[in-house]
Amino acid sequence: MDDKKTNENKDLPIDRRRFLMGSMGLAGGTLASQIGFADDSAFLPPNSPPWTRSLGPGVLTNPYGRPSSFEDHVQRRSVDWLTADRIASISFTPLADLKGIVTPSGLVFERYHAGVPDIDPTKHRLMIHGMVERPIILTMDDLMRFPSTSEIRFLECPANGGMEWRGAQMEGVQFSHGMLACCEWTGVMLSTLLEEVGVDKKASWILAEGADGSHMSRSIPMDKALDDAMIVYAQNGEMLRPEQGYPVRLINPGWEGNTCVKWLRRLEIGDKPWHHREETSKYTDLLADGTSREFTYVQECNSVVTSPSPEKPWQRKGKYWVEGLAWSGNGRVRHVDVSFDGGVNWREARFSSVVLPKSLTRFGVEFDWDGSPQMIQSRAVDETGYVQPTYTQLRAARGTNSVYHKNAIHTWKVNADGSVSNVQIT
Amino acid sequence: MCKLLSVPLLFGLIACGVAYAAEPGHYDYGHAATVEEIAGWDIDVRPDGMGLPEGSGSVEDGEWLYEEKCAECHGSFGEAIGRYPALAGGEGSLTEDRPHRTVGSYWPYASTLWDYIHRAMPYTQPESLSDDEVYAITAYVLYLNELVEDDFVLNRHTFADVVLPNQGSFVSDNRPDTNNRRCMRNCKNPGTIRITSMVDAPQKTRGDVVAPEHDGAATYRQACALCHDDGIGGAPTIGDSADWLNRSDRSLEMMTENAINGFQGESGIMPPKGGFLGLTNEAVRSAVEYMLEQGQ
Repeated sequence: MDDKKTNENKDLPIDRRRFLMGSMGLAGGTLASQIGFADDSAFLPPNSPPWTRSLGPGVLTNPYGRPSSFEDHVQRRSVDWLTADRIASISFTPLADLKGIVTPSGLVFERYHAGVPDIDPTKHRLMIHGMVERPIILTMDDLMRFPSTSEIRFLECPANGGMEWRGAQMEGVQFSHGMLACCEWTGVMLSTLLEEVGVDKKASWILAEGADGSHMSRSIPMDKALDDAMIVYAQNGEMLRPEQGYPVRLINPGWEGNTCVKWLRRLEIGDKPWHHREETSKYTDLLADGTSREFTYVQECNSVVTSPSPEKPWQRKGKYWVEGLAWSGNGRVRHVDVSFDGGVNWREARFSSVVLPKSLTRFGVEFDWDGSPQMIQSRAVDETGYVQPTYTQLRAARGTNSVYHKNAIHTWKVNADGSVSNVQIT
Repeated sequence: MCKLLSVPLLFGLIACGVAYAAEPGHYDYGHAATVEEIAGWDIDVRPDGMGLPEGSGSVEDGEWLYEEKCAECHGSFGEAIGRYPALAGGEGSLTEDRPHRTVGSYWPYASTLWDYIHRAMPYTQPESLSDDEVYAITAYVLYLNELVEDDFVLNRHTFADVVLPNQGSFVSDNRPDTNNRRCMRNCKNPGTIRITSMVDAPQKTRGDVVAPEHDGAATYRQACALCHDDGIGGAPTIGDSADWLNRSDRSLEMMTENAINGFQGESGIMPPKGGFLGLTNEAVRSAVEYMLEQGQ
């Protein structure tokens, strides 16, 4: 059953082949002993493989479908040393294996502060109160009666890439950039709900609070709430996954993921920020001079090449479609440039997806590899004219202890054997 | 909600979405929140003291509460156990190479401490502390940071006297703070490029792909490992047969019952269902069985 995979790898040196097998979540040794790197000719033209000579399972074998078993290696992964345990922790989206710009719901990175609550939607309520004319409590049915809107927007943890302020540290793009996803979100514009409750003219902030054990809370400025914030109950065409806040969450397009409070139970309208733990002790940006920026909401323009990457090495000389993802919390991505020589010369890539504001955007450029080592970088420019910075520029502005909002130009070194290393260069 | 479209000036079109600026109550969905309903959920506290309830707690009361409910993860002196957050120390370290961010060295407001302990702590039993207990633990954490004296009593009035040292060091977001240019050719001297850090290309399986375990093991990983992997909070460590032997006078039924309902033992506390109240009793039982198997 695994012959198809091994066939694709047969030109590789043996150690690389083992890596690829391993990354598919299979025990390389066991697999090799079971099927070896056998001759696949029985499956290939002019012969016919067994699946074209038999029937397969019928409808409803899987009432809720799932990916092919040959895609089992595509899964969220975590880095155990990052957090004390897995309940208040994070897992990463497997960016190298994604296509297009929409992240499948089951692969969206997870971030919890008290694990995932198991919420019965009929027993969940959203309370809106504070400086309002009509404090209300809504059921999920109530919420879904409001006019609905669907938007494709990226979601990124502000700590994405934060492990690399001091130097390259993560083995692959899943770990260096995988606190990132992009979904179609469906729900009610927050502005609609605010009109419904009648906000006091002196109100300027909103506290959003979750129903999980951490009662996650963040202060959101009224301007954002009235601009494009959404109260969403669905993701990629179905109700939110529990990991993503089922049955309802806040989405602040383009802003740090932590503000997009999941399992949303309460919105309090007020006239000052609350300065809660996740906007003081955490999610503030310490600068080299000892001061710290607070309420640093926007995820600035960023990009990364996802193929090649440590997970997607090159196998032989020849032409490759080099591709990656770019995004900006300030609007649309305007340009993405790719360099193969560590930033000396750049070529403009083309967009291979629709270009939406505050959304992942896919880019690609053709490259003819002669087998020599390469230093591949991508550099995105957004519609405000902001150009993704270098590490040198970012560190000059902030030092190395900011933790959050690291959006520096990333470098992959393609080695002569086609393997790919995460590097930082001058 | 209404947008003036300036391009087709001839028509002076005003386009309105479905949700035009409606009067409050336009949809009239849901029900009016009552004072009692709001009071139950309105738990937030602000730096100006808004939200702080009546009640009080002393450093003295806080000491034993902290030791019982907090020290397992945060350390008896707030120094942190493992990767759990440190609460004390680090004064003057924010400009150092390895800054140490704690309540005393980094946090701007004491209200945040009260609010967070009340909303999210103890880690395995949120919403289990009384207001007086929150005051007492807050007072003790302030004491650990040498911000109050040992006879200090915290309440909504004395709260205003506590000013955290780093409060003045927070500034507003002034990004963009970089100014890269979109250069396309000969942007730097190739001779000056050198690698400053590198991670070797992967050669083997990464991540944590694991085979599905039987139910008890899965429940253990989800709900019990937090404490029983390392013996946090006096929990018997999984696989430590001597530790479990001390408990062998108890039946499986009794241990399961303790795990379900919670238990105060000599060496520590077992919170009900390890804090995972959504677990079925059967799942807890299978996890207890699994742990006993590992201890044999």
